[in-house]
Amino acid sequence: MVIAMMTWVGTMIFSFLLGTFLCYKVEKSGVKRWGATGKLFKYK
Amino acid sequence: MIWYVIVFCFYIIFLIWANVKSLKTAESVDDYTTGGHRMGLLLGIGTTAATWVSVASVVGVPGYLYSSGVAAVIGWVAGWCFGGALIPIVAYKIRRPEKPARTFPEYIRHRFEPFQKKSTLQAIVGILMFIGYLLLVNIQVTGFGIVFSSITGIDYKLAIFGFLLFILITSVGGFWSVAATDTLNTILITVGVLLASGVIWSLTGGLGNIVETLATTTAPTIEGGPPLEEGILLSPLGTFGLGALFSIFISNSLGTPSSPHWVTRMLAPKNVKVAILQIMGTILVLIFIMGPLIIIGLGAKVLIPSIPAGKTTDYIIPLVIQEYTPPIVGGITLVAICAAAISTANSMLLHCATSLYYDVYLNISSKRISDRKFKNWLRLSILGIAAVAVVLAINPPWFLAMGFVYIYGGFGAAFFLVVILGLYWKRMNRAGAYAGITIGAVVYVVAKAMGFTVPFVIAVAASLIGVLIAVYSTKKAPLEAYEPYFKAEISDSTRRVLNDVRNSSHEESQDRSKIG
Repeated sequence: MVIAMMTWVGTMIFSFLLGTFLCYKVEKSGVKRWGATGKLFKYK
Repeated sequence: MIWYVIVFCFYIIFLIWANVKSLKTAESVDDYTTGGHRMGLLLGIGTTAATWVSVASVVGVPGYLYSSGVAAVIGWVAGWCFGGALIPIVAYKIRRPEKPARTFPEYIRHRFEPFQKKSTLQAIVGILMFIGYLLLVNIQVTGFGIVFSSITGIDYKLAIFGFLLFILITSVGGFWSVAATDTLNTILITVGVLLASGVIWSLTGGLGNIVETLATTTAPTIEGGPPLEEGILLSPLGTFGLGALFSIFISNSLGTPSSPHWVTRMLAPKNVKVAILQIMGTILVLIFIMGPLIIIGLGAKVLIPSIPAGKTTDYIIPLVIQEYTPPIVGGITLVAICAAAISTANSMLLHCATSLYYDVYLNISSKRISDRKFKNWLRLSILGIAAVAVVLAINPPWFLAMGFVYIYGGFGAAFFLVVILGLYWKRMNRAGAYAGITIGAVVYVVAKAMGFTVPFVIAVAASLIGVLIAVYSTKKAPLEAYEPYFKAEISDSTRRVLNDVRNSSHEESQDRSKIG
């Protein structure tokens, strides 16, 4: 049971890490049309 | 019964209101197919979560948890979550163009056949999508029919024809109607499964008792069937075995980011970052839906050791609701299951009709039509396809959750490489796309028919070999094909080509101010 639940939790953690990295890449690009606002999780 | 009627009446009133509002909002083809590429974050999370949670999740997954134990968490819950985690990789690139594609097959055309007057590739993808989504809508109809007829006593066939009305109400308004009703559906699903799991938790005495039962029970899944091996329901592999569980996980995970409806969903948000945040938010919301479903599926084994003979594991939720939940909780849970079926079916019905009418018919006939005509014909297509899906559901052919695995596996086998390589590899070209889609789809069907345990892996491996041979033995892709996905500013020639593709099938109306 622990292995199954940890697999799920692991995929969620992976999702947040990957999403954060991609948001960082958007910010680094500086392209406003892609959603760059100057702050990592801020959006317009 | 009165509670069921009251809750349902409120639900239907909202569906009609949302649809009428959407009919006024959706004016252009862009509005109708992708919400005009201006979807905000909250509405985006609402619609993504509701589409994600289908009847296969709410009915099928508890069924597999009941029969196979915690392994179903790895196969479906973690599999879908991992697949969802990969969706932002697609979103990061596909939402970059100033004027993105309206449909998944149109993206394929943009990327691989931008100069063709009639795109064969777009039509092939449209046909594959039509087949896949027709079957997926069929699964939703079947799930709805099983639950509704079991709980209310209404005849199964009558229930599925009643469902036709629900999906038509929510689909004819296009994307905005689907999104608005989906957001309410997400709330309903969350409340419904939380309440039901609370009741199961209380009746079983909590997680300790559930785990203790799972560790010791040998009660067969179906009455009169073979007894289970003691402790197998707590084993990470459950009753599946390593190969089968790996195949389920990989089909659900890698099939997700390349499934056309998820790719299309990533075209709807107003920008790249909103698309990424939308998926992260959805995964958070899903904790409050998948967690309770796990409790319901595993807890059901404590309450009902074996399912009556003649029923499948898809009946476990209706059985639990009927026998153990108070009427008000039962009514809300029933609406939650219906909401899950409706929210997934309406979205897939829209994709199914759009692919057939827009990507196949309009593309091949090269007809130019107005936005108004487009919407009217698309509504007619939705009506026809929904009717076919309901007729096919009269004799349901498969288990709900496993049906999803087959189709997601098929989508993944056909489209995974084309989507990912198309977005991240400039060299990927038209010949590679033809090879990838054809080999992936054919090998998956053949491997499945021959009974291989991991048809998805075999199909993707064969597809990759075909893609590499095709790409390196033909010319590089032209700049106009890949530039919008790699650069912020595109050349004039690329801009011209993209506009030609967008305007090839209908007369584009003037840009409209922001709505919603």
